[in-house]
Amino acid sequence: MAAHTSRAFLSLGRINVPGLGLHKSVSRVTYSTGLSTDSSKATTGSPQKGGKKVLSKKYKREPGDPRTELMPVDQDWTAVYPVATPFIPDAIPLPVRMGCPVKGGAPPEKKGNLELIKIPNFLHLTPAAIKKHCEALKPFCTEWPSALDTDAKCDEHFPIKVETKSYVSAGPSIRNPAARIVHLSVKLSSLNLNDQARKKMLKLVGDRYCKDTDILTITADRCPLKQQNYDYAMYLLTVLYHESWKIEAWEAEKTVADMEEYSWEGSLSQENILDVLVRMKEAGEGEGEEVREQLLGRREVQEYKDSVTRLKNEGENESTMLQYKEAVKKVLKL
Amino acid sequence: MALHRVSFRLRQTVTHVRSLHTSGGSQQQEAVAAESEPEPLSIFRTQENDPACQSEKHFGQYYTLPSAHVRTVFPHGLPMRYKQQVKTFNEACMMVRPPALEVISSLKKTDNSKPAVRYLFYGLKGSGKTMTLCHTIHFCYTQGWLVLHVPDAHLWVKNCKELLPSSFNSSRYDQPLQATEWLRNFRITNEPFLSKIKTKQRYVWTKRESTEEGSTLGELVDQGITRVKTSSDVVGAVMKELRLQSGQPESDFRLAVAVDGVNALWGRSTIRKMNNTAVDPEELTLVYNLRKLMKNDWTGGAIITTLAQTGAVYTSKYSYLPKELLGEKGFDSMDPFIPVSVPNYSEKEFESCYLYYMDRHWLQYPHSRTEDGKKELIFLSNRNPSMLERICGFH
Repeated sequence: MAAHTSRAFLSLGRINVPGLGLHKSVSRVTYSTGLSTDSSKATTGSPQKGGKKVLSKKYKREPGDPRTELMPVDQDWTAVYPVATPFIPDAIPLPVRMGCPVKGGAPPEKKGNLELIKIPNFLHLTPAAIKKHCEALKPFCTEWPSALDTDAKCDEHFPIKVETKSYVSAGPSIRNPAARIVHLSVKLSSLNLNDQARKKMLKLVGDRYCKDTDILTITADRCPLKQQNYDYAMYLLTVLYHESWKIEAWEAEKTVADMEEYSWEGSLSQENILDVLVRMKEAGEGEGEEVREQLLGRREVQEYKDSVTRLKNEGENESTMLQYKEAVKKVLKL
Repeated sequence: MALHRVSFRLRQTVTHVRSLHTSGGSQQQEAVAAESEPEPLSIFRTQENDPACQSEKHFGQYYTLPSAHVRTVFPHGLPMRYKQQVKTFNEACMMVRPPALEVISSLKKTDNSKPAVRYLFYGLKGSGKTMTLCHTIHFCYTQGWLVLHVPDAHLWVKNCKELLPSSFNSSRYDQPLQATEWLRNFRITNEPFLSKIKTKQRYVWTKRESTEEGSTLGELVDQGITRVKTSSDVVGAVMKELRLQSGQPESDFRLAVAVDGVNALWGRSTIRKMNNTAVDPEELTLVYNLRKLMKNDWTGGAIITTLAQTGAVYTSKYSYLPKELLGEKGFDSMDPFIPVSVPNYSEKEFESCYLYYMDRHWLQYPHSRTEDGKKELIFLSNRNPSMLERICGFH
C-alpha cells in the first residue's frame, strides 16, 4: 500500500518523513512518471522497482513476418542451412505437417511442432550443397583412370573389391570400433578353379557365397585394426584358393549323400530302368555289358535320364513332372 | 429311414418333372424312343455304366455303380464321406474324369508279358485321387482282373493296438488285427478267384498246422482269418503266390494291385516298440511284403497307387507332390512310374457336380439356385471336390 512510498526517492526538495501514515499527497514525487501510485487503483499491478531504471511497461514487440515470407524463390538455400541445424519453422518455406492428426483433422502444423525438431533433417545436404562440397574437394582428388569406363573392365582388371567404412563424429574420442570391419568380395569365375576345386571351395566357404551373383564375400572383424583385418581377409582368400586345389586321400570316400547335384550315372534310377528294359526284352539277345551300352545309347533312355536329372536337381513342379511322365511313357513304350 | 423314403419320392417327382419340362422337339424324340430310353437324358448323367466303354465324350458326367458291385468291390475302399453320400442319395454315382480314363486306356493296352507298370495319382488335398483310384478298380473288376486293394496304407503304420514279434523272421513285427481285417475284405472282393488259384508251395504255420501245396487260395485266406496269430504271414503268402502266378501262361487271371496312400510304405511310423524306439516301416511284415509287390519284377498286371497326405504322419499339410511325399527312398523304389495329376474340378466338371447336387436336392436354399449362389460356391470351394461337397451340405 502506501508504505512502499517511503523508499528513498531521489528528488529535490523532498522531505523524507519516516512513514507515519503519510498522506499520499506529501509523498508524491515531483517526477511525473505517468504511473499512478494510488493504492486504491490496485489494478495496474506493475511493481515499481529502483529509480531511474524503472522498467517501462512490459512492452511486447509485435512479431514481424516470418522469414519465409521474405525469401525469394531463387535464393541460395545453402546459405540458409549451411550446417546441420534443427528444424526452424520460420526459416523453412514448406507447409509441412507432422504428428498424430486430430480426429477429422490434419496433423499439427510446423509452428511449434516438437516432432519436427526432434528428428534429424538433411536440409543442409541438398544437391546444391553436395555440389559445393564436391567442388571444394576436387583439388584434393586424383582423376579416375579413363581406361576404366565400364563395370566389366573394372571387374576384369580389379576382381577383388574391398569395402571399409570410416566414421567421423564429435565426441571425447575420435576412434570408432566399427571402423575395423573389412568386407572382401570376389567373383569365383575370376578365380582359376576346376570342377573339383570349385566344389571344394563352395563346401569350405558355405554361406559366404551367393549363388545368384557368383560372389564370395569374406568379412573380417576379429582384429582391432582395419589394416590387420584387411591382411587377414587377403590371407583367407589365398588359403582357400590353395586348399581347394589340394586333393586329400579321404576325399575319395565321397558318398552319394555328399554330392551337390544329382548325377544319373550309377544311380538307382539307371539300375531300375535297365532292369526293366532287359526284362521287357527290348534289346534282343545279348550279354551283360553290350546290352547295357546299347540300351544307354537309345534316345528314349537319354530323354528319361534328362528328365530324372532335371526333376532331382530343380525340384518338382508341373513342367518337370510332365516331362518325366512323357519320358517314362516313351521308355516303357506305352 | 425317413430320408430313404424322402429321397425316393423326390427322385420319382424329379423324373416326372424332368419329363414335363423337356422342350418340344426332344419330347417327340422321346415318344419315338420311349421303349429304348425310359428316362430322359440329363447333361450330367450318362447311361454308360461300364468303365470300359467310357470315353472323352463322357467327361464330367456321372455314371452309376450297380449296388452289387459297390458291396463286393468296395467293402473297404471308398472314402468315408462318399460312403455317407451313397447312403443318403441311395445311389453310388461317380464322375468320369480325364485322369481315370487316361489310366484305364493304358490298362486296356497292357501287355501280359511285360513287367507291371506303376501309376501314381497325385494332387492337392481333396482333389479326387481316392475316387479316381476307385474308378480304376471298378474297371479292373468289370474286366475280370483280380483286385488286391489296400484301402489306406497309413492304417498299417499308425495306431497299432497289437504288435507281435513275427514268428517267421524275428526282426520283424506282425499286426494281426489289421491283417485279418484286410483278409476278410479281400475275400469279399475276390470270391470267384479263391477256388481257382492254387498255391505252389507248402506253408508251415505251427508244428501242427500247415497249408499243403496245391490247396486253394480260399483255404489259405480262411487259415489267416481263423488263426489270427498267423494272419500277417498269410497276407505275405497270398501276395507272394499272386505275384509269382500272375502273368504265367497257365494262369488266366490278371492282377491289379491298388494301394491308397503309398507314401506310408517309405515314410515313418508312429508305432513304438517296447523300449520306446520307433518302428521302421520296413520292420513291419505287412509293409515289407507290400513293398515287394510294389516292385515291377512281376508281369501280367498293373500297379495303381495314390499319394495321400490326409492320413500321413510326419508330413506337412500342404505337401502333395510325389517326391515330397514319397521321399528319396520311395521315389527310387517306385521309379520309373507314370505320375498322373488329379486337378480340381474344371468348369465343366463343376457345372456337372452342381447340377447333380441340385438334382439330388442336396442344395437346399433357394439362394444356391441363383447365379450369385453358384459364384459363391465357386469362390468358397475353389472348385475343390471335397470342399465343394462339404460346403454344399450347408447351402
